[in-house]
Amino acid sequence: MVELHQIAAAIYLAAGVGALLGIVLPAPRMSRGAVWGLALGAAVHGVAFATLHRAEPTPALTDLPAAVSLMAWMGNLSLLALMWWLRITGLAAIAGPVSFIAVFFAALRLPHSSGAMVGSGSWPHAHVLLASAGLALLGLAGMAGLLFLIEYRRLKAKRPMSRRMRLPSLEALDRVNVASLAVGFPLLTIGVITGMMWLHQTTGSLWTGSAHETWSAVAWGIYAGLAAARFAGNQGSRQAAASALAGAAFLVFAVVGVGLIT
Amino acid sequence: VKIWLLGMNHRTAPLEVRERYAASDPGPLLAKLVEGGDLDEAVLVSTCNRIELLATTPQPEAGRLRLRHFFEHELARDGGADADLDEVLYELADREAVGHVLRVASSLDSMVVGEPQILGQMKDAYRQALSGGTCGPVLSRLFQHAFATAKRVRSETRIAERSVSVARVAVELARQIFEDFEDKRALLVGAGDMIEAALQALQRQGLRSVRVANRTASRAQALAEHFGATPHGLDELEALLHSADVVLSCVGGEGPLIHEPQVREALRTRRSRPLFLIDLGVPRNVDPAVNELDAAFLYDIDDLQDVAAANAAQRRNESLRADDIVREEEQRFDGWLVALQAVPTIRHLRARAEAVRQGELGRALGRLGLEPAQREGVERLTRAIVNKLLHAPLARLRADKDREEGLAMLEAARALFGLDDAEPAAGESDEDPDGPAEPE
Repeated sequence: MVELHQIAAAIYLAAGVGALLGIVLPAPRMSRGAVWGLALGAAVHGVAFATLHRAEPTPALTDLPAAVSLMAWMGNLSLLALMWWLRITGLAAIAGPVSFIAVFFAALRLPHSSGAMVGSGSWPHAHVLLASAGLALLGLAGMAGLLFLIEYRRLKAKRPMSRRMRLPSLEALDRVNVASLAVGFPLLTIGVITGMMWLHQTTGSLWTGSAHETWSAVAWGIYAGLAAARFAGNQGSRQAAASALAGAAFLVFAVVGVGLIT
Repeated sequence: VKIWLLGMNHRTAPLEVRERYAASDPGPLLAKLVEGGDLDEAVLVSTCNRIELLATTPQPEAGRLRLRHFFEHELARDGGADADLDEVLYELADREAVGHVLRVASSLDSMVVGEPQILGQMKDAYRQALSGGTCGPVLSRLFQHAFATAKRVRSETRIAERSVSVARVAVELARQIFEDFEDKRALLVGAGDMIEAALQALQRQGLRSVRVANRTASRAQALAEHFGATPHGLDELEALLHSADVVLSCVGGEGPLIHEPQVREALRTRRSRPLFLIDLGVPRNVDPAVNELDAAFLYDIDDLQDVAAANAAQRRNESLRADDIVREEEQRFDGWLVALQAVPTIRHLRARAEAVRQGELGRALGRLGLEPAQREGVERLTRAIVNKLLHAPLARLRADKDREEGLAMLEAARALFGLDDAEPAAGESDEDPDGPAEPE
């Protein structure tokens, strides 16, 4: 299982490097190949999780490395769906390296995982799967936000990119941002609720005040504000991109940083 | 086989000269050109920027004169050549002609380096010559090689990557802002050639909704009919900005027509959806402060020309890389051409050797009176000796080499084996100049 994670990490890295070279050289074929590489990495990654599930019917997905790896996998699946929908390849340049770091980190730590989940029933699985999917999509919104800001600055500075090196259009990146937030935030919300239900099942309380719960609640509050500004307010695309990027940076801290510290 | 190219282009001849020689239907002309037999194959490339005749001939000088006569007297629209035709025509042979064809197909010889149309025009010229039966194996091979070279140049360099016309630059910029144009609205303020070119390019990208605003209602009406748009007066400009995604402006007059507060208000009501403003007016029609607004992207004529000039400079740099590719492919084709020229010599040499073998064998067998099986053995032996003796020289003649070396080797082979002295086969003498082939 660890070997499969390592293989998936290597494929993600190759896809990311390929996508970057595809933009810089520029080589459109390499960019398209990188997307296929990302899909192959996601397939191998999926097999790794299936193998994990067969080995341990209650896999340790609440363990930080496994959860990060699951998030990377779900993020890649979401990204591939978005790239297919919008016909854009540029996002693979960020998704590849990010997935590599996440999965490589997970592969290093997986042998030391604790084994089974604490608790029983469907709450743990629902929490991990929904929260991971939500976090992955919000991470994706952050990536799209980063690319948006790069392209926006170039256009404002009157230094447009060449046709072959071009990133997705501002409009496409904004659509990725909107779609990721529109689906990611509700998933995160349900993930938080199912987490509380799981906590109630195991401790008899909806809130124990742990660092994970506190930072998760803060992250949820931040995203609630971002979603309100985006869908109910009059936030422009540039502010939305910057917010998505800042939100994603906070998520990395809240999920990975806090997990490592504690 | 000699390849000749005779032609004129935008650098050597002005339009009034080129238009006299341009041919819209080259088929009958080409058929007439190869009729006399001085030329084996011919292709005519006739575009607005060049008229070039390409031909192969077994008789270099006669072929060249035929091409020249054809250009001067049959291609000229009114049948009479210009007095100063010598100054505008260029004449290239063999490797130089091959290199030129590869450069033209790769768009390195175009007025706008890297433009894609020339490749299509060359394909058309090739197809017309093929269907007219005037394009044979050599020119077919050359054109196929030219198309492959052009493809290589496009994929290995950035020669065609950036737009160099202001209109195309504007469209490229719009594509970096908007993903598609079907649901976008364009607003034309004023009129002009560049605006028209940019609008047409946007319409090719799928833009459907166009509105025209002009000072005079009649002019607005005329422009609207021309572009399939709805006409408006300039007094409606502020309201029109609210629903426009792309604004193309080119109005004469003094000072800006579109001010920052108007655009700010428009962006507010559009919920900050991006607005792309292309200001081609001199003096400028749009207040430069508009570009400071978050969702507004303003490019004036200087901005667009700066981008176009930077793109053109990059194309020039890339053309140096493309030149290397063309030279490489030119050498490759030339190697094939030299190898092709070796074919008659190889055939001739084989025939000469076979004739000598047959002659000597006939005389020897007549004297020896061998049994059929023995005759067969001797036959095989002589054939094997001839083949082994010829193997090395024929292999050297067939091998890839550069033109000078290849032609020198062909000349040496013809001299060493006396191929230019007599006809092969039937013309071979029974007498062996070195005396009897075999001892008695």
